[in-house]
Amino acid sequence: MKGQDRKKVILLLRWTAIIVTSYLIFFSKGRVTDLHLIHLLIFGYIFSNLLLTFLPKTWFSNPKLFYSLVIFDTGLVSFGMYLSEMVTTDFYILFFLVIIFASLSRNFKLLMAIGGVTALLYGILLYSWGLLTSENGISYILRIPFIFIMTVFYGYIVQTFTRETQKQLAISEDKYQGLFENANDGIIILRNPQLQIVDVNREVERLTSYKKEELLQKGFSDLFGSEEDGKALGYFEEVMKQGEGRTDSLSLMRKGGVPLEVDLSAKRIDLGDESFFQLIFRDLTEQRRLEKKIRESKMNLQAIFDGIQDRLSIQTPDYKILRINKAVIQHHHTNYEELIGKKCYEAYYQKSLPCERCPVSVTIKTKKPASSILKISEGDTSLRTFSYPILDDKGDLRSVIEYVQDITEEQRLQKQLIQSEKLAGVGILASGVAHEINNPLAGIIGMAEIALEEETFKNKAYLKDIISCGQRIGEIVKGLGSYSRIAKKEEQSLVDMNEVLEDSLKMVRLAIKASAVEVVERFQPVEKIEANIGEIQHVFTHLITNAFQAMNSKGTLILSTRSLKDSAEVKVSDNGMGIPQKYISHIFDPFFTTRNPGEGTGLGLNIVYRIVTKYEGTIDVESEENMGTTFTIQFPKRREES
Amino acid sequence: MSKKILVVDDEEVIRKFLRIQLAKLGYEVKEAADGEQALEKLGKDDFDLLICDIMMPKKDGWEVIKEVKSNPKTRGIPVIVLTAKQEDPDMFKGYDLGASYYMTKPFTKDQLLYGLKLMFGGA
Repeated sequence: MKGQDRKKVILLLRWTAIIVTSYLIFFSKGRVTDLHLIHLLIFGYIFSNLLLTFLPKTWFSNPKLFYSLVIFDTGLVSFGMYLSEMVTTDFYILFFLVIIFASLSRNFKLLMAIGGVTALLYGILLYSWGLLTSENGISYILRIPFIFIMTVFYGYIVQTFTRETQKQLAISEDKYQGLFENANDGIIILRNPQLQIVDVNREVERLTSYKKEELLQKGFSDLFGSEEDGKALGYFEEVMKQGEGRTDSLSLMRKGGVPLEVDLSAKRIDLGDESFFQLIFRDLTEQRRLEKKIRESKMNLQAIFDGIQDRLSIQTPDYKILRINKAVIQHHHTNYEELIGKKCYEAYYQKSLPCERCPVSVTIKTKKPASSILKISEGDTSLRTFSYPILDDKGDLRSVIEYVQDITEEQRLQKQLIQSEKLAGVGILASGVAHEINNPLAGIIGMAEIALEEETFKNKAYLKDIISCGQRIGEIVKGLGSYSRIAKKEEQSLVDMNEVLEDSLKMVRLAIKASAVEVVERFQPVEKIEANIGEIQHVFTHLITNAFQAMNSKGTLILSTRSLKDSAEVKVSDNGMGIPQKYISHIFDPFFTTRNPGEGTGLGLNIVYRIVTKYEGTIDVESEENMGTTFTIQFPKRREES
Repeated sequence: MSKKILVVDDEEVIRKFLRIQLAKLGYEVKEAADGEQALEKLGKDDFDLLICDIMMPKKDGWEVIKEVKSNPKTRGIPVIVLTAKQEDPDMFKGYDLGASYYMTKPFTKDQLLYGLKLMFGGA
């Protein structure tokens, strides 16, 4: 019987007893001896019941209160009967109420005692009123054993009922104990409010590595590590307030100090007059491990996504951006939140309609991959865009992957390559006819020079034009001729860089009047490189010639070589005029020249570059205006053929 | 006594240019139109300088230089190679054979003067 029900029944029985007692006192044929005492009795009776109404229901589970009540009520009823002497007939019924009341305790002994006392009291009352000797004395006397027999009868019922209940209780207790012990979750029972552990199941022992006996010595706060104390107490305060609560942010401390992450829920349970907290927890280690794995794989995916240097985005079939990689964010100089959820053409290009020829539109329509090259006017960029469909199980389009590659640079290089391939073709042709062109050209220039010297000739400026034009033709033929050599497959030998550098220097010195240039040679032994000697000479003579020109025939030229781990390095360094920063990135482009038309073809360094890269070498330039220029060439070392 | 220079080239116009310019500078100039002629003239006369084209009919410039440099009598004559070939290996071949200077066509009077200065020092 729950506390609530028990309280109700007790109160109800007592109200009944009060009403019946009052009725019998005031309206039966008996004589009230002392009206004040009677009023006091009834008032006390009512007052006691009113008082009980306000007592907490848990108190009614307390046998002490219950027994006191039964004794108190028996006393009151007996006293009432005594006061209303001459009550002859029906007052004894009240005893039954008391007995029924007593039977609520389910205590056979108590019931027997009450029954005995009641029968005795009734006997005493009958005797004191002299009823035993009256004419109906026999019938009054018979009521005494009747009361006792009824008590025995109630007692029997109560006992049987109690036994049955106990049996069932034992069975269900067994059952519940089994469920408790074998639960897959750890269950800890704490006593309220001391928070002392009173029971734990096997799972708790397993998870915490503590024995049950050890745990029973502990309290709530011993379950957690010292650094979690505050958090645990905070949580429990909440549980006390709400009656229950759940958390997954606490770690239990196992034996040996290893924390155990758990999903913990607590609930207050009131059992009879006792109150407990039930803590149920589940080991989260596995779940956390899986969560970590999922998180990691998510991060890995994002890392792959971000690792791709081209722009990648995933869009819905109505162009809304679902996901983007870092390259997109960097390219558009914005952040993740700015782009997500917006339509791609709005977010990327501030347009109100999808871009023309956008492959995503094609994929949305066809559910098939598509690609195209888009020219974006902004920055004159070319974008190669691919789009791939992501389909769901039913084959419907779920989203579209857009992959954007900036091919502006690639296209520029390709254009350059085509151009230089063309040049090579022209070069082969040019070198074939160079001899045929150069001879008459020498004649033209030579004769113009002679004419220039003739005093009779009036307009000398024209002659100068002829000479300079002739020289231009010569330079172009020479430059184009060089391409043919790179294109040709020529015989290769082991080339000693130091030797070639020395020769090239000699050659340039012969060709250029540059006596004021001081040359510093810092040669270290370097490994020989397999190459065409003519090409290497071309590279060096060109760089040295450039250096001489940059220094205006005055300054210091430093030629140095050294052997690196995987390469042979050659440096040509001057302290001449230097190259303006804005030109640096273009100096190896064909036809790039800072000189006036006619002074340079812009082919020289391009040829140098092509030769160096032909041998898988690298050429770098460092330059500062008016400080000088250093070209650094590295040729990879020949692989040892063992 | 003026220095004597042999100019060898199959191109008339180039011979003419050199003839005029060198004469102006005060040199005595002889001409040959091919390798054979050149060797013939070298045998007859003493020269202070040989300016020699490479690509010529009959006997090319390389052969002329080779013969000049192998003949004890002419070995001492400095040689300026004059050619429309302008690739570096050719240049090296010229130096290897004993040429002293290398001029590629088209060339200017300045280049010629520089070459002469290298050969004779001063004017």
